[in-house]
Amino acid sequence: MAARFLWASRVASHLRISIAQRGFASVVLKDLKYAESHEWVKIDGNKATFGITDHAQDHLGDVVYVELPDLGRSVSQGESFGAVESVKATSDINSPVSGKVVEVNEVLSESPGLVSSFDSWKVLAHVKDLNFEKLDVTVNTSPYEDGWIIKVELSDAEEAKKLMDSDKYSKFCEEEDAKH
Amino acid sequence: MRTPRTLEVWKLGTVNYLKSLKLQDKLVSERKANRIPDTLLSLQHPPTYTLGKRRTDHNLLIPEAELKSIGAELHYTQRGGDITFHGPHQAILYPILSLRSIGFGARSYVEALERSMIEFSSLYGVKARAGNKCETGVWVGDRKIGAIGVRISSGITCHGLAFNIDPDMKYFEHIVPCGIADKEVTSLRRETDAQLPSEEVIHEQLVTCLAKVFSYDDVVVKEDPSVILNILEDDD
Repeated sequence: MAARFLWASRVASHLRISIAQRGFASVVLKDLKYAESHEWVKIDGNKATFGITDHAQDHLGDVVYVELPDLGRSVSQGESFGAVESVKATSDINSPVSGKVVEVNEVLSESPGLVSSFDSWKVLAHVKDLNFEKLDVTVNTSPYEDGWIIKVELSDAEEAKKLMDSDKYSKFCEEEDAKH
Repeated sequence: MRTPRTLEVWKLGTVNYLKSLKLQDKLVSERKANRIPDTLLSLQHPPTYTLGKRRTDHNLLIPEAELKSIGAELHYTQRGGDITFHGPHQAILYPILSLRSIGFGARSYVEALERSMIEFSSLYGVKARAGNKCETGVWVGDRKIGAIGVRISSGITCHGLAFNIDPDMKYFEHIVPCGIADKEVTSLRRETDAQLPSEEVIHEQLVTCLAKVFSYDDVVVKEDPSVILNILEDDD
């Protein structure tokens, strides 16, 4: 857990955002927005990047396949746009906002085996200030950073208001986990 | 005091694969809209090979054209997992559950499906175990007795598990089952000398094990499959 928190603080300082203090369970980053279906969104003007949260990847198990949408495709808030496979289960990924897909994380589609392999290594030139020379690019080990899934051009900036902030999302995860 | 949880079970006998897909699609939307409770389909299929989302058809060892001559169909699906065979004397359970209401994620759901089959196997003195990493399913030693392939959309499950009671094992020779080349497939018949009851009883026992593992308070069995199968006719 300590290692994950260390990783999270490094990611946070790289992204220049602060992390919510959590004693246990999944990592939730402040300054991101969250959907009830466990996707996170980082909004930058009229562009949004999203992926699945730490809570999601933890509950999925090792991701072995990511199905990505085509560029230019429209996505709608709350609707499925792709899927991940783990432990013989395909789980739909829902779009937290509506828009048009302008970029997909090709790394995830080129190397599906890397997506969850803890033994694989990859050099990440653009994160050298994190001192991670070799790192899995995975939805499991890097859900908020290198495991991003798609970027879209927003069609309705107001929609983001329907999403949860980090505190609300942390509470939401706690309530979900308590049902068990 | 938590609200009692009910599982509605439909015993469908032998159902054509495509029909079962249509039925599941319908039930998933009904479940998502909260118009039905958690539902379980208990059935068998005629000889059918199926592939998952990754379309690993390199694991089909005979040409697709030849499948008809051996009396089998082939279907591509959106479920997780690799290629598998379904056929007579293999018990299939398709749970249509809301994972959010039971606080499960994909991993814990699949583990519970594995535990259901392991619990069921123990009724016959068969010591089964969950698969190792990348070998999801239920094994007796190095032989696979139960397979899992699931789809989760908006937190609602479909597809499910297949447990070999006494299927014709020759059908498995035409595939690399689940994409695992060096392991055998087995069945309850092969793993125990115990007298097996009727398949109806066996299906009921498997359903009971699943209901127990998932902590359902009530299990309501619906025995008139024509009601649910007619749901499909209405749409046609």
